[in-house]
Amino acid sequence: MSVATGEPWASLLGALHTVITVCDSVVIVYFLAINTSYLVLILIALGEFVRTLRRAPFAGHDEAATSPLTPPVSVIMPAHNEAAGIAEAVRAMLLLRYPEFEVVVVDDGSIDGTLDALREAFDLAEVEYVVPDDIPVRGGVTSVHLPRGGPVRLVVARKDNGGKADALNVGINLARYPLVCMVDADSILDSEALLAVAKPFCDDPQRVVASGGVVGLANGCTVVAGRVVEARVPPDLLGRVQVVEYLRAFLLGRTGWSKLGSLLIIAGAFGLFRKDAVVAVGGMDPDCIGEDAELVIRLHKHMREQGRDYRIVFVAEPISWSEAPSKLKVLAHQRRRWHRGLTEILLKHRRMIGNPRYGRIGLLALPFYVVFELLAPLVELAGLVLVPLGVLMGAVNADFLWRFLVVAYIYAVVVGMVSVAVEEYAFHRFTRWRDVWGGLVGVVAENIGYRQLTAWWRLRGMWDGLRKSPQVWGAMTRAGFESPGQVREKGGDRV
Amino acid sequence: MISAGLVRGALLGLLAVVLALSLLIVANRFVRRHRERRRERIAAPVRGSLLELLCAEGDEQTELLNRLAEIDRRTWAALEPTLTTLLGKVAGGARAALVRLYELRGAAVDAVTELSSRSAARRGRAAQVLGQLSHRPAAPSLCRLLADRDPEVRLAATRALGRCGGPEAVPYLLESLYGPRAVPPAAVIRALVSLGPQAQRSVAAGLEHPQPLARAVAIEVLGATGVVSHTSEIARALREDPQIEVRVKAARALGRLCMPEGLEPLLAAVRPGRPVALRMVGAGALGTLGAVAATGPLAELLGDPDRHVAATAARALLQLGPEGRAELHAAADDRSRGPAAAQARAVLAESAVGAARHDVRAEVAL
Repeated sequence: MSVATGEPWASLLGALHTVITVCDSVVIVYFLAINTSYLVLILIALGEFVRTLRRAPFAGHDEAATSPLTPPVSVIMPAHNEAAGIAEAVRAMLLLRYPEFEVVVVDDGSIDGTLDALREAFDLAEVEYVVPDDIPVRGGVTSVHLPRGGPVRLVVARKDNGGKADALNVGINLARYPLVCMVDADSILDSEALLAVAKPFCDDPQRVVASGGVVGLANGCTVVAGRVVEARVPPDLLGRVQVVEYLRAFLLGRTGWSKLGSLLIIAGAFGLFRKDAVVAVGGMDPDCIGEDAELVIRLHKHMREQGRDYRIVFVAEPISWSEAPSKLKVLAHQRRRWHRGLTEILLKHRRMIGNPRYGRIGLLALPFYVVFELLAPLVELAGLVLVPLGVLMGAVNADFLWRFLVVAYIYAVVVGMVSVAVEEYAFHRFTRWRDVWGGLVGVVAENIGYRQLTAWWRLRGMWDGLRKSPQVWGAMTRAGFESPGQVREKGGDRV
Repeated sequence: MISAGLVRGALLGLLAVVLALSLLIVANRFVRRHRERRRERIAAPVRGSLLELLCAEGDEQTELLNRLAEIDRRTWAALEPTLTTLLGKVAGGARAALVRLYELRGAAVDAVTELSSRSAARRGRAAQVLGQLSHRPAAPSLCRLLADRDPEVRLAATRALGRCGGPEAVPYLLESLYGPRAVPPAAVIRALVSLGPQAQRSVAAGLEHPQPLARAVAIEVLGATGVVSHTSEIARALREDPQIEVRVKAARALGRLCMPEGLEPLLAAVRPGRPVALRMVGAGALGTLGAVAATGPLAELLGDPDRHVAATAARALLQLGPEGRAELHAAADDRSRGPAAAQARAVLAESAVGAARHDVRAEVAL
């Protein structure tokens, strides 16, 4: 009798044992593969940096800065409840070094007096205005304002609240120049930023349709008059970890993807686009949380379907700075939102995945994002559960496991350290020894707790995306920057 | 399954890599700082002489030049970044002195030799140096470099030719616009404009070029440099050229040239049924041209179904002075003219606050 009842259990346990063994092997291979892919991208980026540095003396930056033939740019800055810092941000934008550009601020239904702050700072006058309808928008423009009597190249539009993507679409409609640069109201740009990001358009105007700039972490940096004058690694552990993460994923990863001709993400914090190309694809998608990446994928799709020879490039120079969350709760919201955005984008463009019609985008970049970005939290958290379970059930040798975990951890540390080393070699923005030390501390800490936490948040974001739950933008509380004589404090909710 | 020995080996290997990377980061920082300090130390004694050279004249300049020309290679290497920066910032006698110093050091001759280097970075740097020195004898070599296999070297050669080339470089620059090793039109335009008035006769020869891009570039350059003697050819290009790109450039150039011959073809270009890009640029050019005769046709465009054309026409009217402004007021007051009235009111409102957003280039795509 006991044999009869025990046999099904034994076979069930045996099957479970096999499943867990297979799953654990998958997790182990996955962990190796994901870090190896990062390493490969970093090494490709290193090659690109070496090439760029060797060619810097004849890159022709100075010529572009003074030539009237450099294509003019409309800088579009959507703003929602940014009263505290908007005037300073716009002033800093207007002081960028570039032959000809305008700044278009779109106040997306702010309720904190954002428009009043601008009105006071730039002596704005409301004017009647015919807003072109190149791209359909949801929140109608209620007023347009221009600075009185001056050569200040600024346009401010006030619209009904409709979200960031909708505000950007209004900005694109208002833009009068052939290139549109999308920046966040809290982005801090280096004075040469526009020149750097526009260079690909000057060098290859027939083919380049978009270029993205590096977004660095502004936490802990010294900011004077809207410019980062001294780059620093933040003193807190969360900030240090994010510095390393930004270096690896945003600077080196995107440089690598750009070199492979498969760049999928241009950060909303700083990207330059051909206006006609953006209009041709219908502008930003107001229903998508990751509207910046979604636009880039739609541009790829459009260009490939049209059979056009085109390029979407990444400018690997430190030119734009953004403040990252300094509190876990805010970080959780951010990562959940990012991953939800990624899920929505990949679902929306699922027909492109693995489709040879879309070349490297369909066969390389999108599958990579599915396997190593979208599914990463799922696999990582599954590993956290299944690997200990495997040890308990005897499916995994405990001695092997701890050795392997140490190897995997150190491998991830190596990848992080290579990122720091590449930054130190190519840009060496952080001048103090303690910043290098802080970066290395971030490398060591990233894989203990931080990675697992973000995996959990990202998993929830993926779930939100799959459920199509209502879009909610988290509160982004800003700590401000270290600034001699003045500390910039900001706070607010985004739509 | 992976053996424990392999894992142990990987562990030791990775620890070695971590150690190596740590040393690399620290060493890189030390070496960089040491080099910077060393360069500063070596260049410091001669930096004063260099600054004196910028202001010196006559015998004093000759003496300083000879002294600086004889400094050892190590000091020259330390000083060169400062020299390169200064060369891009000074003009007149100071620049001539720096160029002479480079020549005495044999930098120009070395750069010409480097133009045939196997390294693209070296070829590009050499082209850059020759351009900075305005080294005219290098122009033929730079013309050959316009067909270099590396696109960035081609760009550097184009820029250099803009500084040291002459009329003989014009055909090469126009040829470089097409083919598998093409140079971007904006770079060629910049170079051709920089060549100055003596090269514009050769540029005008490009108006008959079989390649539309070459014709478009020639027209753009003639418009930008204000060569009014070719207005009739440009007007003919606007009327007859089969390529829209050439016609758009011709419309823009006619606006810049401000000659009466431009009026009729521009008025024809803005008529309904023509390509939108041409109509927009044409409307803007009519404003720049400033011919009062364009007031009526531009006023008609205020109600154009294409809002960009209508907005450009409104701004162009503003540029025509009292007549254009009167037409705008009339349109603004006429409530029956819906969109046209809105365009007129908008541009008048802009003008009233003194912030009129008019620029012909704004209407032109890349």
